[in-house]
Amino acid sequence: MSVIWIHEDAITLDHPAVTMAGEGAEIIFIWDTERHDEKAYSLKRRVFIYECALDLGVKIMAGHPYNVLRELVGEQTIYTAWSPDPDYREIIADLRDTHEVKVIEAPGLVSVPDDVDTKRFFRFWNRAKKSAMTPSHQVLESETA
Amino acid sequence: MRDATQQIPTDRASLIAEVRQLSPNLSADDTTVSSIRGGRAAAKARLKTLDPAEYGKTRNHLDGAVTQLSPYIRHGVMGADEVRDQALELASCKTAEKFVQQLTWRDYWQRLYREYPDHIWNDVEDYKTGFGPEDYADDLPEDIAAGETGVACIDQFIDQLLTTGYLHNHARLYLAGYICHWRRVKWQAGAAWFLSHLLDGDPASNNLSWQWVASTFSHKPYYYNLDNVEKFSGPDIDTAFKRNKPLAGTYEDLRKRLFPNGDFQ
Repeated sequence: MSVIWIHEDAITLDHPAVTMAGEGAEIIFIWDTERHDEKAYSLKRRVFIYECALDLGVKIMAGHPYNVLRELVGEQTIYTAWSPDPDYREIIADLRDTHEVKVIEAPGLVSVPDDVDTKRFFRFWNRAKKSAMTPSHQVLESETA
Repeated sequence: MRDATQQIPTDRASLIAEVRQLSPNLSADDTTVSSIRGGRAAAKARLKTLDPAEYGKTRNHLDGAVTQLSPYIRHGVMGADEVRDQALELASCKTAEKFVQQLTWRDYWQRLYREYPDHIWNDVEDYKTGFGPEDYADDLPEDIAAGETGVACIDQFIDQLLTTGYLHNHARLYLAGYICHWRRVKWQAGAAWFLSHLLDGDPASNNLSWQWVASTFSHKPYYYNLDNVEKFSGPDIDTAFKRNKPLAGTYEDLRKRLFPNGDFQ
């Protein structure tokens, strides 16, 4: 059985990390007060995040994600959504010393070549526009064709 | 601490009490909660209001047809691809393009975050304002934090930020421009303040937009005048000259006043 760690950058069950973990995986959202304090999140931000998390109807645990997951997870694999947040990346790197962690990235809004110029937005947009304006079902159809 | 089988608080007061209990270090003075509700159902209700045609025509106006979906997209409650798909269902590619382009900004910021995480809190480029970083104050002045600057429209924008946790993008630009250029405060101080309050506060979208305003991630500083605020504000925003004097003037006058040594086109 696996554990799915839901973090604040992907408060959803509609994510490939959840699908890939398979049925029966334990899903937890971790409420990290220390993180909120460090970032000086106001009450309204915290309430919004908590409301989003409660809405999933999953187990919610409080603490630093590294400590919570270390304590909770035995031999299981941890699945989580990819995030650019350096804090999350560090936690994942630390967990990987002792656990198998699978970080899953959801398909983005656009698909562009790796060498796309990101110095200014409109240069990026010119390369991304075609992909951005293509609905997901058409992308799926062309991928499975 | 909360099991999946436990009953979710049905009233918001109980939910807020739980958050308070989980946040022992939160100031007792911080009592404001937004009317914007979290969760998938709330996101779907907002998505139903999407009108790409109207968005394209009115998006720059503070009372325009914006979706307010950003808090949900920020926290992954709803994917930007799902929102894009809905826009393309409702309108032709041509009509939906402006909306999809705005959605793509988020994708762009996230790519930069991934590629250059150090850019989030550090100047990407030099200021083009004629000033160096040492000329800008490190901390947010108290009158700004309290929404008591004496500039009427700015105080209204601050009040919206503090009470709702949401600001129209144009109002964000006005407020950020005021803080960086009229008050000469480091963009980092303003960006951190926005992240405390904005429900959609995302380090990449927020901070790199602040750098765009400040000119450390663009070829010139973003500034505006009172006429511009008046043009894009609805009747709820006070744009009377006598209560907004620091913002009044032609662009040429303001450029001389705000950037006497500025070297930009």
